[in-house]
Amino acid sequence: MREFFRKLSWLAGRRRREEDLREELQFHLEEESERLQEDGLSETDSQWAARRELGNLGLVAESTRAAWGWTLVAQFAQDLRYALRTMRTNRLFSALAVVSLALGIGANAAIYSFMDALLMRRLPVADPQRLVMMNWNAKVTNRDDFVMHSGHGPGWGDARSGETSGMFPCPAFELFRKNDALFSSVFAYFFQSGLAKRLNLSVQGQADLASVQYVSGDYFRGLGVPPAAGRLIFPDDDKVGAPAVAVASYALSQRRFGGVAKATGQSVLIDNRPCTVVGVAPPRFFGVDPGTAPDLYIPMHANPRIAPDMYFDGNDYWIEVMARLRPGVSREQAQAVLAPQFQRWVKTTAHNDKERGHLPVLVVTEGARGLGGLRREYSKPLYVLLTLVGLILAIACANVANLLLARAAARRREMALRLSVGASRFRVVRQLLTESVLLASIGGALGVGVALVGIRFLTLLLAGGQTNVRLHAELNWRVLGAAAALSTLTGVLFGLAPALQATRVDLVAALKEARAGRTAGRRSLWGAGLGRALVVGQIAMSLLILVAAGLFVRTLSNLQSVPLGFNRESVLLFHLDALKAGRKGAEITAFYADLRTRFSQIPGVRSASLSSEPLANAGWGLSLYLPGGREDPLNRVMSVGPEFFATMQVPVLAGRDIDERDGPGAPPVAVINERFARTNFGARNPLGQHVIIGKGDNGKIVARDMQIVGVTRDTVYGGLKEKIPPVVYFPYDQGYPLPDEMVFELRTAGDPVAYVNAVREIVRQADPRLPLSEVRTQAAEIDQSIAEEIALARLSTVFALLALAIACVGLYGTVAYNVARRTGEIGIRMALGAERGRLVWMILGEVLMLLAVGIAVSVPAALGTSKLVQSFLFGMQANDPRALTVAVGTLVAAALLAGYLPARRAARVDPMVALREE
Amino acid sequence: MDPKTSRVELLQGTLDLLILRTLAAGPAHGHAIARHIQRTSEELLRVETGSLYPALHRLEAKGWVAASWELSEKGKRARYYQLTRLGRKQLAAEHSRWDAFARAMGLILNPVEGEAK
Repeated sequence: MREFFRKLSWLAGRRRREEDLREELQFHLEEESERLQEDGLSETDSQWAARRELGNLGLVAESTRAAWGWTLVAQFAQDLRYALRTMRTNRLFSALAVVSLALGIGANAAIYSFMDALLMRRLPVADPQRLVMMNWNAKVTNRDDFVMHSGHGPGWGDARSGETSGMFPCPAFELFRKNDALFSSVFAYFFQSGLAKRLNLSVQGQADLASVQYVSGDYFRGLGVPPAAGRLIFPDDDKVGAPAVAVASYALSQRRFGGVAKATGQSVLIDNRPCTVVGVAPPRFFGVDPGTAPDLYIPMHANPRIAPDMYFDGNDYWIEVMARLRPGVSREQAQAVLAPQFQRWVKTTAHNDKERGHLPVLVVTEGARGLGGLRREYSKPLYVLLTLVGLILAIACANVANLLLARAAARRREMALRLSVGASRFRVVRQLLTESVLLASIGGALGVGVALVGIRFLTLLLAGGQTNVRLHAELNWRVLGAAAALSTLTGVLFGLAPALQATRVDLVAALKEARAGRTAGRRSLWGAGLGRALVVGQIAMSLLILVAAGLFVRTLSNLQSVPLGFNRESVLLFHLDALKAGRKGAEITAFYADLRTRFSQIPGVRSASLSSEPLANAGWGLSLYLPGGREDPLNRVMSVGPEFFATMQVPVLAGRDIDERDGPGAPPVAVINERFARTNFGARNPLGQHVIIGKGDNGKIVARDMQIVGVTRDTVYGGLKEKIPPVVYFPYDQGYPLPDEMVFELRTAGDPVAYVNAVREIVRQADPRLPLSEVRTQAAEIDQSIAEEIALARLSTVFALLALAIACVGLYGTVAYNVARRTGEIGIRMALGAERGRLVWMILGEVLMLLAVGIAVSVPAALGTSKLVQSFLFGMQANDPRALTVAVGTLVAAALLAGYLPARRAARVDPMVALREE
Repeated sequence: MDPKTSRVELLQGTLDLLILRTLAAGPAHGHAIARHIQRTSEELLRVETGSLYPALHRLEAKGWVAASWELSEKGKRARYYQLTRLGRKQLAAEHSRWDAFARAMGLILNPVEGEAK
């Protein structure tokens, strides 16, 4: 060990030590010659004799240096310096290789970091592998014949797998809770849609929105999370009549309270009701959904929106359940015990034989990674992106390989020279390896930077401006390491193959060569062949990415050209919730009506209205039927304010818009869309007909009997990709259902954003407790709804350009190298009278060959793989001929350009110069 | 006398021991060490310069000798080597190993003489 440090310190003072050695040996020579002079030799003779005795001075110095023990290090430094010098002389190629590697490595690390965060990481709680989640699966053909009469949460699945969901009625939760032998804890939380998740939190008079998670009393104990300060929620807190308490997230405690200590015990107003913050959750805790980060955790029973009968209704599905397995109990055991229990129970909730026909089946799934909503939403696009960046890395590696191959061929003479002056093969191979590893390392280092930027870019892109989606992606060093290792391996493999080949050359023949690669043409043929194969591979992979980009870009343009049925420009949207400011009942409708009038009086605002949901992203169903008819579950509704259709510029085809006459107390009216008219009335005139909103059990009680006063043009409802359903629009202020949070729409002159301050001022004057939220333009609202498609289209375009650029560089390099190799031949051809044009075509012919092979390989692959992304496409088939044609056209144009540059150079060769070089 | 017959080739690994033993008498520079070994062995052993200096630097790396620049008897700057504490221990160990080795060799090569004694 000491020896090592001594050698290390010598290494630091290397220069002085070299001088010492020279002086020491010089002293030895002098001493020896003096001794010989004493023996009677002449001065000159003695000096010569001393030198003879010493032998080869350089060798002695060299073997002494070997004793210092850093020959390897010194040689490495030498190799490194030489490698850097070589990189400098081949600046363009080295830069391109390094940049393409950096982009390949960085993009892979960034995308994979997201996948890791969303799909693989476990919840930051104690023993996450013991958590399980309750789900059910059912083959539902008709919603009317299903035990779930109402549901507040997501379900997913398709015709083959049936419907799956994590929502349960509260009595089922009680049933699971009885299994003490299986679970140490069973806990639940209330799924809420994005809008309802936010509360008006007022801390010392400062009101702002906070997101909330309603949890059962055992939630924190079940997850095994310790408090950062104070205490968390106990079972006793989750009871009717218990004092109002809340637990703050760590981030909220920092943001709104100024620290965990200050938050604990603080009295706050939540939606205008007093509440005590009893504690703070730990910093890394984000609940059970990797896609969200609630600010507040509140006992479920404190949620005013949950009607008391919801706790007992066996047909109302609204609660999500997780449980912690006792040690020694497996998920399969829990499944085996619970499934029959649930089966027996759910049978008792069925009202008729049709419902008994397809009852839901309990499925206990693993819960270590938390809720799967985000996983389901993002995993497929992430896999697509991962494939694309994987291809890019492959193209980049092929490029590096090609570069090294070409360079090795060009350096055959250099290698031969080195070997002939006595370098060992090992030494030469080591030097070549240093060069390739250096290239890969610089690429990897830059890749870290690309990954960091890429993660920030992706976070913005994938969140699509949604503020309630929080992605917890961090740079994943394992992935980065893997990508860097892959590129280094490429460097080593392709650095090594030509290095070994180069050092096996017939020295004499190689040295005699006038130009590298001429006489030894046959031997380097495999090198050239491999180079061509790599270029073909690059072309093929680029085409795949180009096709993907073409498909995604066309999908986006199809989506953007979907007829909306209204004018999306110059509309400002924002949300107001009078309930959160403590208003109730009829007070709310009057308040909204007053606000609407004030907004419409802002100078420059042409008209103002309000609706229960934004038009393009609505999704609300009620029991709806015609007198004497039966309920049609496909119908959709929307409650709107006066002049709604005028504001959104939806053409009214017959009858009239809803206006200020249709207020509280006036006869209830409704406006229907074309599709509703066609489906329910056919050729009959719908005006004057009635439509009924039902409520209660199976919607049998007539809650509102409305007369149809207008028919409007169909507008997009519930997303651009959705088929437009039959829709009934009714005034928000004519009884059941009562309005809560509403979206206001302002049709403005010019840029809608310019009116935000005026709106804020009006809201502040009306009620300072009222939070204004989700302010955006209608255009932005629509763009956000297709954020995934926008992200895919943009990213795949970037990737396609990147792939194209890298592949063209590879092609350019190969052609340029071949041209340089054949300069002599070209000179002879020109001297014999070949035309320049023909020479250009001769070179381009080679490019076209490579292209043709690449495309021939790739087109079937593209057709096959594009089926996998069918679900991302809109308004087109996976084997879209236009996308394919554009991709092939782009590729051919880019490749011909990459080939034309060196071809033109070949045609400009001066025959005299070329021949003189021979 | 003919140098070819009168000179003995150094056995592998013995040079280190010779250097250490020489330095036990006091600090010396490379040339002096070589001369001392040659003279003391009655010119039978000759140290090649080509192996002397690598050996000295190797011993220095191992920490058995330490080097410093001093003025020689003739007033010239010379690199003097000196035994360290570690080197002294090493010398003792190598010395006894060599004694054992030499005795064993002697017993085998001269059995009669051994028995006669």
